[in-house]
Amino acid sequence: MQPVSPDAPPIQAQGLSKTYKVGFWLNRTVRALQGLDLQVGAGQIYGLLGPNGAGKSTTIKILMNLVRPSGGTARLYGQPVDHAATRRLVGFLPENPSPYDYLTGREFVTLAGHLSGLSGHDLDRRVTEVLGAVEMAGAEKLQIRRYSKGMVQRVALAQALVGRPKLLILDEPTSGLDPLGRRQMRDLILAERDKGTTVLFCSHIIPDVEALCDRLAVLVGGRRVREGSVQELVSAQVPTVEMVVENLKLDQVQQLGVPLESAQALDGRVLLQVSDTNSQRLLGGVLGAGGRVNRVQPARFSLEQLFMDALKESGRATSVGGEINT
Amino acid sequence: MNAFTAMAWNGFREARRNKVTVVVGAFASVVLLSSTLVTDVTVNTFDRVLTDFGLGTMSLILAFLTIFLSSGLLSREIERRTIFLMVSKPVSRTQFLVARLAGNMLTLAVLVAAMTLIFLSQLLMFGAAITSTQLVAAAGLWFELLVLSSAGILFSSFSGPAVSAICTTGLYFAGHLAGDMYEIAKYSENPLVQTLGRVLYYVLPNLERMNFRPRATYALTVDAGTFLSAAAYGVAWAAIFTAIAVFIFERRDFR
Ligand SMILES: Nc1ncnc2c1ncn2[C@@H]1O[C@H](COP(=O)(O)OP(=O)(O)OP(=O)(O)O)[C@@H](O)[C@H]1O
Ligand SMILES: [Mg+2]
Repeated sequence: MQPVSPDAPPIQAQGLSKTYKVGFWLNRTVRALQGLDLQVGAGQIYGLLGPNGAGKSTTIKILMNLVRPSGGTARLYGQPVDHAATRRLVGFLPENPSPYDYLTGREFVTLAGHLSGLSGHDLDRRVTEVLGAVEMAGAEKLQIRRYSKGMVQRVALAQALVGRPKLLILDEPTSGLDPLGRRQMRDLILAERDKGTTVLFCSHIIPDVEALCDRLAVLVGGRRVREGSVQELVSAQVPTVEMVVENLKLDQVQQLGVPLESAQALDGRVLLQVSDTNSQRLLGGVLGAGGRVNRVQPARFSLEQLFMDALKESGRATSVGGEINT
Repeated sequence: MNAFTAMAWNGFREARRNKVTVVVGAFASVVLLSSTLVTDVTVNTFDRVLTDFGLGTMSLILAFLTIFLSSGLLSREIERRTIFLMVSKPVSRTQFLVARLAGNMLTLAVLVAAMTLIFLSQLLMFGAAITSTQLVAAAGLWFELLVLSSAGILFSSFSGPAVSAICTTGLYFAGHLAGDMYEIAKYSENPLVQTLGRVLYYVLPNLERMNFRPRATYALTVDAGTFLSAAAYGVAWAAIFTAIAVFIFERRDFR
């Protein structure tokens, strides 16, 4: 076994592409990834965002050596992804995980522990610990086929954690979890970060990404359209403000000459969206014209705005899925 | 327990919790026992009939159980995506595949042993002779099942459970008939048929080589050399099938 170099970045991928061949004659192709670069440094929490079919799961499957890239290279801790021993450092939670349903939760996590190189009392203790952490201690003796979706998700998370990984790769970790479970998942990820664990995860829940990530990438149609630290990306964003105005008609507001993102008349009220830079001018104008400002609030999560802008800029007819060629 | 043993042991545990294995095992035992009810005890070929029927039942039922189990070993895991949680651990795909085969062979060893015990106690009960060839035949059956299992794994490394089961069944019959086809082709006038018979004989495992059941039935002996060479022949074919399966399996995508 080659030594795992300690200063090599946990994840490093260059020019990854994946073209799936489909159809009976394998003559149709779906381009799931096109030239993706990804670098995740030690101790980072890195988020992958993107619409359905953007290539998030494909990226993760390449990193876990489940599918082979059609082009480009991917390394974990400086080793090629097909190097089995490196995965000793990695915990993986797939999308819609399916553990062996004839095993109990405890049996499955124990099996996962054996595969991660643990054994004996240490394994026993660790299994109890991780099952406790995902609150599955009560149901650990039940066969997995008797579990609900969220319970399966929890056991699958436990099996990812059992080997004390230094890198966690999580594909939609909060899917299927109840509100409390989502909160616990967030706390778990933060606790892992405090231990120095690196985390790569993808999610559709923007507040989660915003709350957890140091850096993120937005994928659309298999290409990376945004990348950077959350701070950078969000502050580069022009936020919009939502305002509800009374005592003025829609055309009266429009005559104020302040550029509006959108304007809509509701009975007796006007609903406005304006960029943050213009919001003070609009406020002054409305009040000066005798209007009453009922409510002012940031229009969306700024990350959500970023996401929407990225989709719009990608210039694709639909944001869903990769390019399909027949 | 290391990773390989844990995976192999889990395969055995899976089989024990699998209704099909349990039901087939129970069914085979019932069939074995029922032979005593329908056989006329006064017939002077009683020993032969009992051995023939007992070993024949074992081999047929276990061969089909093996086809069913082995053709799903990889493909079912890929279909259900249970494999994601296994090969994402620090084990190679080769280790996973060989551990699945080992777990399956452990299950089949236990079944062969259990049925042999039933068969022998039946012989004892009726005071029929127990011969070493009967044991050799049971052991030979296990090697035949090893070849079948590795073929099933090979097919299931690139196709679904149904297609794998069909292909493995085909191989089972062809493997038993290959020797006959070779003999028949030898007497053909047509050189093409002769060549075809020979080619088939060499590209297919000759499962008859591990079949000592007729010798057990007629109470003939099998010398150690013959048995060992048959066992080695089975292991060699299993190794070939497994190597091809590994080659394919290491390279394929799991989607
Ligand atoms: N097994 C497959 N065969 C053919 N095409 C596939 C396969 N898996 C994924 N794709 C295609 O690859 C593209 C990316 O899929 P992927 O699963 O990576 O998306 P994703 O970003 O994870 O989406 P989601 O948010 O819905 O999980 C899609 O266009 C999809 O159609
Ligand atoms: Mg996905």
